[in-house]
Amino acid sequence: MFRHNTLRYAVLVLLASAALFQAFTAEYFGLEILTEILILAMLVLALDIVAGFGGMVSLCHGALMGVGAYAYALLSTTAGIAPPVAMVGAVALTGAIAWAIGAICSRSHGIYFIMATLAFGQMAYSYVFEAPIFGGDDGLGGIARLDLSFVGIDLNDSRSFALFCLVVLGAIYGVSVLILRSGLGRSLTGVMHNEQRMRALGLTVWRVKADVFGLSGMIAGLAGVLAAQHIMYISPGLLSWTVSGEALVVVILGGLGTLVGPLVGAAAFVVLKHELSAVTTYWHLVVGVILIAVVMSRANGIFGWIEARWGDRIERRLSDTTRKPEAKEVLGDA
Amino acid sequence: MKRATLAALGLATSIAMPAAAEDIKVGLLLPFSGVYAALGNEIEAGFNLALEQFGGETDATFEIVREDTEVKPPVALGKAKKMILQDDVDVIAGIVSSGVLGAVRDMVHGAGVPLIVANAGNDEATGADCSPFITRMSFSNSQVNRPMGMWMHEQGIGKVYTLAPDYAAGRQMIDAFTASFTAAGGEVVGQEFTPFQKTQDFGPYLAQAKASGADAVYVFYAGGEAISFVKQYDSFGLKAELPLYGSGFLTSPLYVNAEGPAAEGVITALHYVPTIDSPANAAFADAFEAANGRVPSEFAVQGYDAARALIEATKTGASDRASLANALRSVKFEGPRGPLSIDPSTNNVIQPIYVYETVAGEDSLTQKVLAQLSAEADPVNGCEMAPVSN
Amino acid sequence: MAHDLGFWTLQALNALQLSMLLFLLSIGLTVIFGLMHFVNLAHGSLYALGAYFAASLTAVGGYWMGFFLAPVVVAGIGILLYSGLIKRMRKSGPMAQVLVTFGLIFAMLDLTRIFWGDLALAIEVPALLDGRLAFLGVEYPTYRLFIIVMGLAIFGALAFVLGRTQIGAMIRAGVDNDAMAACLGINVERLFFMVFCFGCALAGLAGAVAAPLLSVTPDMGLQILIPTLIVIVIGGLGSLKGAVAGSLIYGFVQTFGAVLAPQLASVLIYALLAAVLVIKPVGLFPAKG
Repeated sequence: MFRHNTLRYAVLVLLASAALFQAFTAEYFGLEILTEILILAMLVLALDIVAGFGGMVSLCHGALMGVGAYAYALLSTTAGIAPPVAMVGAVALTGAIAWAIGAICSRSHGIYFIMATLAFGQMAYSYVFEAPIFGGDDGLGGIARLDLSFVGIDLNDSRSFALFCLVVLGAIYGVSVLILRSGLGRSLTGVMHNEQRMRALGLTVWRVKADVFGLSGMIAGLAGVLAAQHIMYISPGLLSWTVSGEALVVVILGGLGTLVGPLVGAAAFVVLKHELSAVTTYWHLVVGVILIAVVMSRANGIFGWIEARWGDRIERRLSDTTRKPEAKEVLGDA
Repeated sequence: MKRATLAALGLATSIAMPAAAEDIKVGLLLPFSGVYAALGNEIEAGFNLALEQFGGETDATFEIVREDTEVKPPVALGKAKKMILQDDVDVIAGIVSSGVLGAVRDMVHGAGVPLIVANAGNDEATGADCSPFITRMSFSNSQVNRPMGMWMHEQGIGKVYTLAPDYAAGRQMIDAFTASFTAAGGEVVGQEFTPFQKTQDFGPYLAQAKASGADAVYVFYAGGEAISFVKQYDSFGLKAELPLYGSGFLTSPLYVNAEGPAAEGVITALHYVPTIDSPANAAFADAFEAANGRVPSEFAVQGYDAARALIEATKTGASDRASLANALRSVKFEGPRGPLSIDPSTNNVIQPIYVYETVAGEDSLTQKVLAQLSAEADPVNGCEMAPVSN
Repeated sequence: MAHDLGFWTLQALNALQLSMLLFLLSIGLTVIFGLMHFVNLAHGSLYALGAYFAASLTAVGGYWMGFFLAPVVVAGIGILLYSGLIKRMRKSGPMAQVLVTFGLIFAMLDLTRIFWGDLALAIEVPALLDGRLAFLGVEYPTYRLFIIVMGLAIFGALAFVLGRTQIGAMIRAGVDNDAMAACLGINVERLFFMVFCFGCALAGLAGAVAAPLLSVTPDMGLQILIPTLIVIVIGGLGSLKGAVAGSLIYGFVQTFGAVLAPQLASVLIYALLAAVLVIKPVGLFPAKG
């Protein structure tokens, strides 16, 4: 089960204040980067819930985010539905699709689960790429942002939009913690550790997996909706498996199964990418080497490393060390 | 942040920053990584060459900010916004993929920043989605394929099988060809679109083309797909019985040597061939080869002419966003491709199209120009915009 | 669309040729996984390296030099990877391995761009294998027949080595239960090393063989990775039989899908993968239950 400790609270407060500071002081491009981080953070939270607490390592979360983005774009432009309703519709649709994927894949484990989700993600990608209604390779433009002018907020301003995303991210984080602390979340962790035992206890395992996957899909869908609103333009590249792969990298880089870690990972990844791509077009090489170095250090990501090193000192009684080795073994039954 | 607000709303029609005297800040927005990195480098090489050769003709000086689009529309849009809002560029040039152009279109249009397109050929950019701020110095997908339909029919080819990758550009290119070929009296006996960037083995499609009973095959492929396609076409021995025609990107000088002897005898049409016989082209081709050690491709000439158009525009005294955009729309000069002008009703370039055959040269493949088809403006395609102001 | 028998023979040969290319790639990956439980996502990058080395070596000493030396060079890189990275990663969990090999994909993609540039390269088909052979009533490119024959030969050789020799028995024992095999006095660590290098060499060979057929581009490794993974997952991890079955299924579905249902061609194989995993969650012929 997910627990906060002093370190986690400290990092959360630190991250939130850094984001707020950035939001109020940054120039235009700094705000773009901040928003990018916030949206990626939503996606990796969604992924961490299923991968870190349910052992369901998904390679279709990028595609789910894309489904949310496309659903919102089509509902709000082609169908002409008001943005708030279109947002709800897009999130619900993504959740339903994710629930179905979770249900279908619930029997697969480890690498097979990864591949099955990859298959669904690639199906969505190919379909969006080729169906004319989605604009194909050229994508769709003219997507409107949510209108909050009735409370005096203009989301077309970069700063307001970044703050809006920050608020949404905060809410998503809260909901994620609630999900993981609920009976459903506890059952999920039980399933990850010993599926047979949970089944023997009378739990409908596939339902637990599907429900959590559906909830996680809703979060990914919301991230997609905000991504579409942020860029105001979407293209099939959003659904590509490399997006899911990058999200997975961020989750693991940050610290699988820690919720806080992936947030750190998202910030580190985006900042690193932008700093490097400004210097060299070969930034993939540097990112690759850093990735390898972080993993070779044998820590559970950046945050896991911090926790392992200083967590105990900060919090002697509420040590988390018992959970980490298990979190690493999610693929062990493959 | 008021300016950001206005621009994002699309309300700001012209936020012209009066540049210091005649110092023009140019944003070069090209892919330097990803699948089109080679094209980005080629266009930049052409762009820089023109600044070097013709920069002295104008009083303006140019400062270049370059950004990598990574061929990802969202990345490109972020970079375009940065150029416009943070770097305060006066003009943007570049853009290779149509997807990227579609993504930045509303942004540059709303902010009133002139954009010189140096590759992306989607018809809509100078059709339904045209903008007085977007001038295209490269080509449109229809423009380079339409003349070939008539020409092939004139050569006595009655039945054709077509193949292209399954994405917007592939369909536009083939549709333009099919329309003019059937209008001329020809018949398209079969048509297939292959999964874009996922097809490596064209064998299944080639067998179908062979069985279709066509007199010839007309295709559009580019880059790595073009290399695989031309080689596999030849390996099946189809070239002799079923001549291969296509859009000229199929045998671009950029990668025709990787295709090797398989490309010999392939007849294609394009807006530029390095062997065009004119003093302007000779001067360009020699200088490009001296600087880069390779024959210039159509992409290089697009970059070259994009910079040239910018220089021509500054010669009229234009120096801010609005006046540059306006001046770019009436640019006219004689370049390596021949006489170029901008169609004021769509902002697309008007240029001759060359039909050429790839033949064996002294030590590498070269191009033999078979015909120069006259320059034609694209139909307006639903483009509505304010006329050029004087 | 009425087609004669020759048309279908041609398409069957196309399917077989694609299958054999995928087989060369997937067999290395699947045995490495079966034996070491190591998910090497960088396998596709090794394939791309094979193609690039073959292109460079061909420029120096002709096609056959590339054909024979490229796999050796790639195996050499495999040795470096094994001793530098993978050996140390053996004990860490699969997620860490996925991540390291993901990092390798990034790094190798850019390294090929730095060394060989962004422009696509190509190799000419050697004179010996140029042209076409009349075969079963159709004319088929000799080079493609060569790929089919080579794939079948390698399959035969592997089936013999794995099924009938001592080293094969050791590998099978390792796949079944590596701890038990180690107890029986098999040097499992050395076995891993050999299998890993051999898998790398096969990936390099696949690259060298594919190069004259396709074009050599930096992203070719990424493009082939997903099909290879699909093959081994459909077939079931760790088994020779699975790799063969998966390759054949992929090759035939892809080829005949393109002919019979072109609109569905790109979705078809993913739908099939999903279907297989729903019915048999561990693939068709997994190495162990």
